[in-house]
This record gives sequence, structure tokens and C-alpha cells, in this order.
Amino acid sequence: MRFQDASPDARAVVYAGIQADPLVARAAALLADATQTQRILARAVMNGMSTGPTVWQAMFPTLFGPDAPSDGDERGRSEALLAASIQVAERGEQIRSQVRGALVEALTELLIRRRAGSRGGPSAVRRERRILFDGVRAEIHPYDVTLEAPGAAEAIDCKWGARGINADVLHQLDDARTHAADEDEVLTASIVVFDAERSCRVRLERQTAPHDETRLITLETLDRLAGR
Amino acid sequence: MESISTIGDAIAAARPAYDELAIFAEDVEDEWSYINDLALAWADRMDAVADARGKEPAAAGVAEAVSALVAEAAAIDDPHRAIDWLSTFPQVLLVAIGEQP
Repeated sequence: MRFQDASPDARAVVYAGIQADPLVARAAALLADATQTQRILARAVMNGMSTGPTVWQAMFPTLFGPDAPSDGDERGRSEALLAASIQVAERGEQIRSQVRGALVEALTELLIRRRAGSRGGPSAVRRERRILFDGVRAEIHPYDVTLEAPGAAEAIDCKWGARGINADVLHQLDDARTHAADEDEVLTASIVVFDAERSCRVRLERQTAPHDETRLITLETLDRLAGR
Repeated sequence: MESISTIGDAIAAARPAYDELAIFAEDVEDEWSYINDLALAWADRMDAVADARGKEPAAAGVAEAVSALVAEAAAIDDPHRAIDWLSTFPQVLLVAIGEQP
């Protein structure tokens, strides 16, 4: 089993520009330290219709209401996340969809880097990589995030919402895990979904593609990526 | 919208907007089964909270939160976005009333 950079096609070149958008990095950094409610706020705003802050402040009384902290780190993060999320929402529909996807990837990378210190170091965390196995044709689509640590490798695909879970993704992740096992290597396959577990489970129930051995990470469990 | 003084009132006030969202989302015919399964799963969760905590007083800001949430859902003009909001809507409602989704 070996990892390899994916050859950039036209789509990848365009998408790389989205991934490099400073707004993506800023929002990912805020989300990495956010509470579940703050992450739900970001999800709602980035896929909402309204771009004025007062609507969202009203919708999240536990963050902005009369009984919420009026200052401090938590309030500051809520305000900063709201502002960044509105910036994402103000992009055109196609761009904001790409930004949301890139954001989940960046957040996943950031959280895994926090855990990777004892498993190959931060340099073992990579983006857009293929995994090659002897005698197996390489997958067309690279994995969004990989942890390339000896004996503890991981392949991760990232999705904005539960609806992004599909047969192709599940097959690719399970194939990678089984091909690794054929080579006596351990590869943990995960799908990270910036959505509620309940929605993901409903989606998965309809899937016949193998997924019992694929780890599901959702809004509720994102911090597990960082080992928390 | 009816006045909201309890958790049960908040959920009851939000549910019609959620049901409308599900009907709108059904315009995406390929996802009909998923949409209905998703809506049912979240409706069950909201009903369970209403059964367990329905008589508890709603905290400050909950009435305004439900009003804003219902208005946001009504503004959604794309059935694909409505599918995404079938998941988002109950999460927002539940955290507003102090529940984990």
C-alpha cells in the first residue's frame, strides 16, 4: 500500500483555488474549537437564505439570547463564526457549495493534525491523495484527507451533508480498507459528514454498498478526529 | 403564530413549517424515499421531546427563535436546499430548546 499525489485535472485546479481561499482556513479554524451548537449555527447560516446577523442571533438563543454569555471566548467565537458563515452564504450558490465542501475538508485536516503528533507527525496528514495497491487499478477520485502513518493509516472522505453519502463513496472507502487488509496493512476508512448523525443514519440505511467497517464521523463526533 | 410559553408550544409552532418543507423537498423526485424517511426520523425525535418536556416553560428567546426559524424555512426557494434543511431545521429547533439533536 502506498500513497501518491493525485494528478490535477481541470476540476482539481479550479477547486484548489477554492481550497486556498483564506475564508475557508479562517472558518475551519473557528469550527475546530467550536461547540456543537456553534457548528450547527455555521451549518444553518452557510445553507440558509438570510444573510443578516439578527435573524441568526434570534434563532440561536443559547448563543446570543438574553441568557447567553455577553462576552468571553465563547461569545467571541459565536460572533466570529456567524460573521464567517455569512461571508460564505453571500457567495453565489455554486461557489458557496464548493466552499462548504472545502471547509469540511479543511476542518477534518485541522482536527486530525491535532491527533497526528503521536502518529507520524503533522506531515503525515495529506490532502487529495490516491492509495495504490499491488495489482489493483487506482481509483479515479483521490481521498479528501489521508493520515499516512505506518501501521495507523487512514483514508477519509468528507461531505457537507448526509445526502452526499452515496454508493460510490462507500464502495471506494471499503475497497481501500479491504485491499489494505489483503496486503496485511491496517487502513481505517472514514466518512466525515458535517451533518447530524440521525440524518446520516437515515441515509446509510438506504445504502446497499458495504459500510459496516467504515467509521462515520458526524457533527456530534467531529472532535474524535482530534482524539478528544 | 400561537403564543409560545412551553417547550410543547415551541415544537407545535414549528412542526407545520417542517411539514411544508418536506412537501417542498419532494419536488426532487429521485430522493422521495429519503426525504420521507428523513422527515419521519426527525418528526419522531421532535415528538419524543414534546412528550418528555412539553409542559416545561420555554426559556427566554425560544419564541423568537421559533419565529425566525419558521420564517427562514418559508423563504427557502430551492427543493434541494429544502432537503438539506430537513436535517438543519430540527437541529436548530432542538438546540434552541436546550436539547441535543
